[in-house]
Amino acid sequence: MAAKKELLILAEYSQNKIHPVVFELLNKGQKLAEKADLNLSVLLLLPKKIDFSELIAHGADKVYYMEDPVFANPDEFIYKENILSFLAKAQIEIVLTGATNFGRSLAPRIAAGLKTGLTADCTALDIDEAGNLIQIRPAFSENILAHIKSDSRPQMATIRYQEFKKGTADRSRQGEIIALETKIKDNPNLKDIKKLSDREINIAEADIIVAGGSGVKNGEDFKLLKELADLLGGQLAASRDVVDAGLIAKEYQVGYSGQRVKPKLYFAFGISGAPQHLAGMKEAETIVAVNTDPSAPIFNLADYGIVADLYQVIPELIEMLKN
Amino acid sequence: MHIIVLIKQVPEMDKVLFDSEKGRIDRKSAGVEVNPFDLNALETAVAIKEQTGAEISVLSMGPNRAEEALKEAVARGADNAYLLSDQKFAGADTIATSASLAAAVETIGAYDLIIAGEMSVDGDTAQVGPQTAEFLNINHAAYVSELISLNESEITIKTSLWQANYSKSFSYPLLITVTKDINTPRLPSFKAKLKARKAEVKNLTLADIKEKLKIDKVGFKGSPTWVDNIVVPAEISRKTKVFSEEEKESAYHKIKEILIEKNLMED
Amino acid sequence: MKQVVINDLKKIVGDKWVDQNPERVLSYSRESTNDNYTLVAPEPIEGSVVVKAADAEEISQILKYANQEKINVIARGAGTALSANTIPAQESIILSLERLNKILELDEENMLLKCEAAVSLGDLNERLKSNDHLYFPLHPGDEGAQVGGMASMNAGGVRAVKHGIMRNQVLGMEVVLPTGEIVHYGGSEGKLLKNNAGYDLMQLMIGSEGTLGIITEVSLKLYPEPKANGTLIVAFASREDAFAAVPAILKKGIIPMALEYVEKDEIELAAADIGKKWPAQNGEYFLMIMLSEAEEDDLFEIGAQIDQITAEHNAVDMLIAQTTAERKDILEIRSHILPAISDKIIDSPDVTVPRSKLCEYLNILNELEEKYNTRCPVVAHAGDGNLHVIILKEAGSKPDYYESLKKDIYQNAVDIGGTITGEHGVGEMRLEYLKMMYSERELEIMEKIKDAFDPNDILNSGKSIIRK
Repeated sequence: MAAKKELLILAEYSQNKIHPVVFELLNKGQKLAEKADLNLSVLLLLPKKIDFSELIAHGADKVYYMEDPVFANPDEFIYKENILSFLAKAQIEIVLTGATNFGRSLAPRIAAGLKTGLTADCTALDIDEAGNLIQIRPAFSENILAHIKSDSRPQMATIRYQEFKKGTADRSRQGEIIALETKIKDNPNLKDIKKLSDREINIAEADIIVAGGSGVKNGEDFKLLKELADLLGGQLAASRDVVDAGLIAKEYQVGYSGQRVKPKLYFAFGISGAPQHLAGMKEAETIVAVNTDPSAPIFNLADYGIVADLYQVIPELIEMLKN
Repeated sequence: MHIIVLIKQVPEMDKVLFDSEKGRIDRKSAGVEVNPFDLNALETAVAIKEQTGAEISVLSMGPNRAEEALKEAVARGADNAYLLSDQKFAGADTIATSASLAAAVETIGAYDLIIAGEMSVDGDTAQVGPQTAEFLNINHAAYVSELISLNESEITIKTSLWQANYSKSFSYPLLITVTKDINTPRLPSFKAKLKARKAEVKNLTLADIKEKLKIDKVGFKGSPTWVDNIVVPAEISRKTKVFSEEEKESAYHKIKEILIEKNLMED
Repeated sequence: MKQVVINDLKKIVGDKWVDQNPERVLSYSRESTNDNYTLVAPEPIEGSVVVKAADAEEISQILKYANQEKINVIARGAGTALSANTIPAQESIILSLERLNKILELDEENMLLKCEAAVSLGDLNERLKSNDHLYFPLHPGDEGAQVGGMASMNAGGVRAVKHGIMRNQVLGMEVVLPTGEIVHYGGSEGKLLKNNAGYDLMQLMIGSEGTLGIITEVSLKLYPEPKANGTLIVAFASREDAFAAVPAILKKGIIPMALEYVEKDEIELAAADIGKKWPAQNGEYFLMIMLSEAEEDDLFEIGAQIDQITAEHNAVDMLIAQTTAERKDILEIRSHILPAISDKIIDSPDVTVPRSKLCEYLNILNELEEKYNTRCPVVAHAGDGNLHVIILKEAGSKPDYYESLKKDIYQNAVDIGGTITGEHGVGEMRLEYLKMMYSERELEIMEKIKDAFDPNDILNSGKSIIRK
């Protein structure tokens, strides 16, 4: 019996850990692999071997890895040379990788090297009746969703972080761990590479936004909102009136004259919902509004409203989330 | 020094209409303009030109009317303009586009630096830059937000990878894709714009680049991916559920549910 | 406010829509005047109540009730007014129109958009985006501004040179009179281009600053959207040159959408404040000229004429923005000047003079700067002869000469045929200067008009006109 072909997850190993999108892709990949009758494998390039059992527990049948100090830095050229040398010989049907900056910089080179199709920044995936990958992605500045197919192999896609859920670990799963040789270790054109700093995120990119309005009494109190935002891995924002009143800097402002945001979850604390503000956040996936005024216009837009004082609600929310 | 800037002409996104019922994109009321990210790419090139006296060529693949985008680039400081245009290029995906652009770059001649925008606002893929580098077999740096230093033999840029900022120094040739943070594109002077309206745009066809091409077919036929279907999501309509002060606790549970459902809780 | 009044109001609009919470009442009592002119804006009198009516019918009942109880009523929109036009000077019913926020009809045949009072300029523009050939030209600055307020204030703003100000855009209205009757102007449908029957009460309503009636619906004129748009930025080394170029351009028969004048310090602050960059690197004084033409060739032909005219007036540079994003950036920066400099300024009288007198007025300003040993930056809707003369703080506070300088700014404008306000209106802050403009008899007629509409003086009492 011929060996099953594979669905390969190209894993990002950065900041000394496996990027969490890899586990989300394993969960989704399991379902796709089953539907298309494929084995699920992971390829990691990393400076020093780690324990791969988590990958197997989350669904990997095989873990390929290359271990070399050269992988301590994000050098797309070295990465793609080595990945291409592996892919040239492997029986890979589908390659998925996280649409992180590195993923979106590296995957196109690999696809071009293989002259195969690549779909960027997918938010959904499926398998059609013929066993082909359906790749669904936003385009036209996120105004449409395009369903894309490829007629070349492997079919490649980069997938957004936090689109799929991480699955539960099954420690009884068995998998194979395969060491690969790092063939190319030198990039003569790259003269120097060094890490400068960790990246700050801006509110336009945030998945969760915790915003405060005139219900926030003074600048100091934004710390309370910041605490909630930090706890959720979100970003702090504000409506225009508090920015105009000098309670918080302009860069936090959401609205016509501030930033337009599209987070998955938007908390509006003490924001009445002036059209100026709504214009900047009405495209959020889910809006939760907290205001003491039951007639505040924000309640007409929000998915969930709580008629209560933000000074009570935030500490209680923080308390609940901590537990 | 010779810099090639890749330019795409895109519809004015503000004016493009999306019909969720018919699943259609309506561009009829939208004009066309230079992809906004490409203006940052061009501005980067112009700043280098001012510093080193580099020569700037702009290259665009598109229909004849993309000439306008190239003339805009000339008004803003480009020296030569090339339009890669042929009916056979129609329907190209990123692979076919990049292979064609790479062949055109090699047809134009020797270069040191290629600059492209991070992505186009109609495609949103961010793939054409890195793929063009691959077809040219040169290094690339994506998401470049700062040009740290540059001299005749080396360039150092700041890029954002692995959730951190890195500096990378390269020898030439190199391709970079730049983010909006790298600069604020300057406006052209009226006189330059007026003059550029009559600028010469050199035409390249498939026949001109064929020898350098690394794929067998171009355009739709040379594209491994195709759009099977498009869906225009309906405008968000919400049903508001309002909790009173007494119902706070159930509201908190709902919030927790949302966080889990949306995959926003770290575990 | 007496509890019995609160209860009665709740009977009209429902419990949920009557709000006495002091913090929220305060936020509905303050307007942009308080944010931008902190040292001179009056603070609201406490004790008001916010009422959010659902429709003209409820508003009618509230006004009838207010007449019966003799309570002052203030119509409240987005709160973007700049002359203390809606700040309560007595315990009042603050009638927020926020629930009247529906766009009712886009009538392509009559080229108009009919909407309720609280539709914002931003909402309106968003709605028109999905129409491929019609648009609404006016842009008073803050896109949160609502059409009801724009009409009652007769707003102007930057894009008024070609198509005029708010007064020229309104084809019809639904208004609740102070005595509670609901009336329609511009015919029963509010769609008339001409109406010569009797006195034009609709035009009287426009610019009456909420003292003659509460506007609940407005029909706005739309225009065919021009295809070739470009914004020119012309840089000058001197104020005089920049101002002299304005009538010279218009005299040639060039009618831009907007012809604005800005100065380097203010425009750069405004840009930095919203994370953008003012595009011009040369020059200190700028004309910002928005052109809208049928064809690109026309745009460049007119541009070339402007280039020539401004060169004759010693322009040092002329840039052009054609992409939507770049044109929008420029407009956004321009619209953000006031909030960006609000911590540095005391006041900015928006005097207006005949366009031909712009240079003469500028010379007067130079003399005033010398007389008071200060600097008066100017931002101007130059094409309309409308200036915003900025009175700066000195060492963070109000200088002794403030009142005297302000009076000179107004009086000199009036003396050369101008007015004390081109767009912000009288409100409370300019009441005392109305006498510079009008005779006793004229003021008396205004008062009688007010009496005719509002015999009990319950609607925005004490604003806009002088009462004995």
